[in-house]
Amino acid sequence: MKISLDPVTLATPFFILAVILEIVLARLGRARARYEARDTATSLFMGLGRNVTAIATGGIVAASTLWVYQHRLFTVPVTAIWAWVLIFFLEDLTYYWFHRLSHERRVWWAAHVNHHSSQHYNLSTALRQTWTGGVAGTWALWLPLALLGFSPAMIATQQGISLVYQFWIHTETIGKLPAPIEAVFNTPSHHRVHHARNPRYLDRNYAGILIIWDRLFGTFEPERAEEPCRYGVVKNLGDFNLLRVAFHEWIAIGQDLTRARSPREALAYVFGPPGWSPDGSRETSDQLRAAWRARTGGRAGYFGGASSFQTSGAPPPPSAIQARPEAASNR
Amino acid sequence: MTWAFVIQTTVSALAILGLVALAGWARIAAPRPPLDAAAARAVLAEEFPDSRIGAVWIAADGRAAVARAGEEALIVWLRGDDYVARQAPWSALATAQVSAGTARLAFHDVAAPAARLAVGALAPWPPALEALTLEAGA
Repeated sequence: MKISLDPVTLATPFFILAVILEIVLARLGRARARYEARDTATSLFMGLGRNVTAIATGGIVAASTLWVYQHRLFTVPVTAIWAWVLIFFLEDLTYYWFHRLSHERRVWWAAHVNHHSSQHYNLSTALRQTWTGGVAGTWALWLPLALLGFSPAMIATQQGISLVYQFWIHTETIGKLPAPIEAVFNTPSHHRVHHARNPRYLDRNYAGILIIWDRLFGTFEPERAEEPCRYGVVKNLGDFNLLRVAFHEWIAIGQDLTRARSPREALAYVFGPPGWSPDGSRETSDQLRAAWRARTGGRAGYFGGASSFQTSGAPPPPSAIQARPEAASNR
Repeated sequence: MTWAFVIQTTVSALAILGLVALAGWARIAAPRPPLDAAAARAVLAEEFPDSRIGAVWIAADGRAAVARAGEEALIVWLRGDDYVARQAPWSALATAQVSAGTARLAFHDVAAPAARLAVGALAPWPPALEALTLEAGA
């Protein structure tokens, strides 16, 4: 009998048990978690689908990594502790840049957006994985590790450890951890910020295991009690269709390319930040954040919408008036 | 693709169905009572912070709302237990297909191709918010 040493495979029973535990504890009122059945189904089937779609590109990824390893600069011993310590940091640094690119460049966002498409934040969200990561080619970012002399097995193992680590931080059940842990590690609190669509929180906390990279590269944002996270993407999906979840941004890129008026525009549609448009009719994360700051002065409040009336000196909005049947005839 | 993979995938799919059933049984989705005017305005204000929300139209089932900001329609509707928001030209509302008590409002957006809004005697379609919006000073 062949025994798998893949950390993700080994952890799968734990994933299932943890989801069950979170649901049951939430049902009993002992944990803070929201589960909606269709959202949960979407997350879990995206995770299952990823295993299937990965077959299509897994061979290319493995062959490429092996080829680079055959041309390595050094040979890193698999049995040395220092080698595992070193790959822990290097892989985590690689993950940080992979993740940052996946948010800041549209072609890679197209592969990653599905992970953020749930408006929930629970352990099932962690399993909402990409179907198109192999096509997007971000796996190439790990090739330098093979060039340095880390074996493909070491790289894959450390990637698996990182993925398993990131499972448990997809929860609202765990609040802030002791300060030393929050200072060094990616935690549920830090990752809640990453999944939030509040302008203050957009494109922050890209960490895999160590939050130190965000602190180092200026993308860290702490979770604030006065500004609860609102999850999802800036423009949430209209339904739970799996194909839409997996491919909507790719299709949108294709549609934009048909409208591009120059090669430069085409390149910007593909490699520009998500939300870029030649006429400025859409908004990037930076623009959304700037608008929010202009509206609120950076004070807390979801989107600044409600608080803007309180802080700008403008009169409060008029009372809501429901449309009356007779008014309909005016049209 | 081996038999082991097929079996593993099949068992995983069954496990998923079990987890989804558990999630449904637990009834721990966010409670979303039908929108009233105040709730609709709060949702719209969150989703469209740059717009002044005046009068609102609320769907017959309380699961969607429309507001007018100039020549733009601001639309929110419930997907699962949370809201999705989109903006459309106000004139597009008149083009929505209405049948069997539902207005299907199409967007040019692959991420959200259409919103289905329940209409009725108290929620006639298209919404008539012009006078109300002007009255509200928006």
